[in-house]
Amino acid sequence: MKKKKWLPYLFVAPYLLHLIVFVAFPVFFSLFLTFHKWNIISPVEYVGVANYTRMFQDRMFWKAIFNTFKFLLIHIPLQLIFALALAEFLNQNIKFKGFYRAAFFLPVIVSGVVVTILWQQLLGFDSGLINRLLVIIGLEKVGWLIDPNIAMGSIAVMATWKNVGLYVILFLVGLQTVPPSYYEAAEIEGASHWQKFRYITLPLINPTIFMVVILSTIGGFSLFIEPYIMTGGGPLSSTLSSVLYIYKQAFEYYHMGYSATLGFFFAFLILMVVMIQKKYIETND
Amino acid sequence: MPEVKLINIGKTYEGGMQAVKDISLTIKDKEFLVLVGPSGCGKSTTLRMVAGLEEITTGDLFIENEKVNDLDPSQRHIAMVFQNYALYPHMTAYQNMAFGLKIKKVPKAEIHKQVMKAAEILNIEDILQKKPGKMSGGQRQRIAIGRAIVRRPKVFLFDEPLSNLDAKLRGQMRIELAKLHKKLDATIIYVTHDQVEAMTLGDRIVVMNQGEIMQNATPMDLYLNPNNKFVAEFIGTPKMNFIKGEILKIDGELFFKNNHFLFNISKVNNQQLENHIGKEVDLGIRAEDIYAEVGNLENYGKVHAQIVAIELLGNEKLIYSELEEHQLVAKFSAEQEVQIHTTIDFYFNLNKTYFFEKENGKRIN
Repeated sequence: MKKKKWLPYLFVAPYLLHLIVFVAFPVFFSLFLTFHKWNIISPVEYVGVANYTRMFQDRMFWKAIFNTFKFLLIHIPLQLIFALALAEFLNQNIKFKGFYRAAFFLPVIVSGVVVTILWQQLLGFDSGLINRLLVIIGLEKVGWLIDPNIAMGSIAVMATWKNVGLYVILFLVGLQTVPPSYYEAAEIEGASHWQKFRYITLPLINPTIFMVVILSTIGGFSLFIEPYIMTGGGPLSSTLSSVLYIYKQAFEYYHMGYSATLGFFFAFLILMVVMIQKKYIETND
Repeated sequence: MPEVKLINIGKTYEGGMQAVKDISLTIKDKEFLVLVGPSGCGKSTTLRMVAGLEEITTGDLFIENEKVNDLDPSQRHIAMVFQNYALYPHMTAYQNMAFGLKIKKVPKAEIHKQVMKAAEILNIEDILQKKPGKMSGGQRQRIAIGRAIVRRPKVFLFDEPLSNLDAKLRGQMRIELAKLHKKLDATIIYVTHDQVEAMTLGDRIVVMNQGEIMQNATPMDLYLNPNNKFVAEFIGTPKMNFIKGEILKIDGELFFKNNHFLFNISKVNNQQLENHIGKEVDLGIRAEDIYAEVGNLENYGKVHAQIVAIELLGNEKLIYSELEEHQLVAKFSAEQEVQIHTTIDFYFNLNKTYFFEKENGKRIN
């Protein structure tokens, strides 16, 4: 009898342990840190709301947030359009469907570091494949990663390339839930391809669109690996994303308390954005 | 005049599956034609070929003397009501009905006129602002029909439109559809697997099986004069009874012989039966042509069998009995006293029997 009492706890223990060590403790400790100053080595020092007041005056942080939004503004529409177009393409009766599906999905499972290094080969200024191609056809080189006005765009394109496969699969599932008879009925009415897409497909896959926007927003907010490896946040901090800045505060400047504060604020910001998106994109029915 | 003509129409799918084999059929102007058959018989494929949703592999299709094989569905002047209604869930009933006109850029006032006219015919003015998700099955059905009416087609195509409704509503909609046919004066091709629907709605019924037309006739003709065993079995509830046996000629008289009985069938139209002496045949008889008493039957055969089940239907009852591997069903009036598990005599009205060849089910007499 006694044995039976602790057995259930034993079964949930691995999950609980994980939850406590990797979720609950970090969350509460970070919250604790937001009111303290700590550089790992010296003892924790209570500073009240100093971290918060500092955050609102930190121009670099706001620039990082601005950069992140700039990234999202390019990344999300690109992601939506390409993912939907590719899903629509895969939803037709084409040959080698399995091959395309696998090919589009491949970058998703490849490590972000590997993808970034690969793209560095493409986007390099002097030795990058794209610039060499441009030179061959008689055009000027473009500073893909060194021009402050272009760098974030380049990173957004790369991030889209990496993640699009996942959203293709999601859209494909969405497209396949639309009953074929809807299209047949529209065909009898004389609807063109575009009209069928506009009046039937789009409204009916609205839930999928919403999901893709939310997922790529959250994914986009956590932009880190790409600028960290490719540009280190430069040139002129033009690719400094919020997460990268938070990381730098913690592990380059050892401002643990401040970094935690930024992290909390940033999570709150994501929540706000997602809620706004939910309000405007998701329709009933 | 919108007449639909199918000439040697066939459909072979990639991979060689032959869904429809060489069908020829004419649907007259204003006719209500029903295609009926078990699932997989090719009736829906045939309808979809008429609609243009399915490519025609062989043969020609004419709608009002125009060959339409290669025309898009929208150019064939047809409208279709789908089994699942295919109403767009994100549009109101009104928007659903107006959709076809809207994408053709018809002026709003004209669209409104057409939609309201159709709504009036179907009595659905009050649900026009509802979305399909908030409607009952019958209402959705009406909207789907309304959408077809708005197109003002030459031919209406119905693909099992009542199969998603419950039995009571189905009966009600059947009557409405029959009325609607009169009101619209339209040519209708209607697909169903339900023979009751076919019998009650069709001016003419085409029974299909395995991609072929088994018989093309009026409802009563199908019932009284089935061409083959398949039609005989498919049309009519309860199903026709079949008994295996052999035709014999003894002393100049014809007999149908089974392990249990010997019927003298000399008085049954015997011209054709003469050619099948010594051959195995199936005898077919409908439940209502089996009696519990001789009454004033002149020409009957007697069968002794045990009652295994009784189904009371109100004014009549179905009596099930077993005769070797055959299950017999007879329809008696409700007053007829019978006890389950007792053995009684059944009297077959031999004037109402059908004989079919054993090999191919073709009607003999």
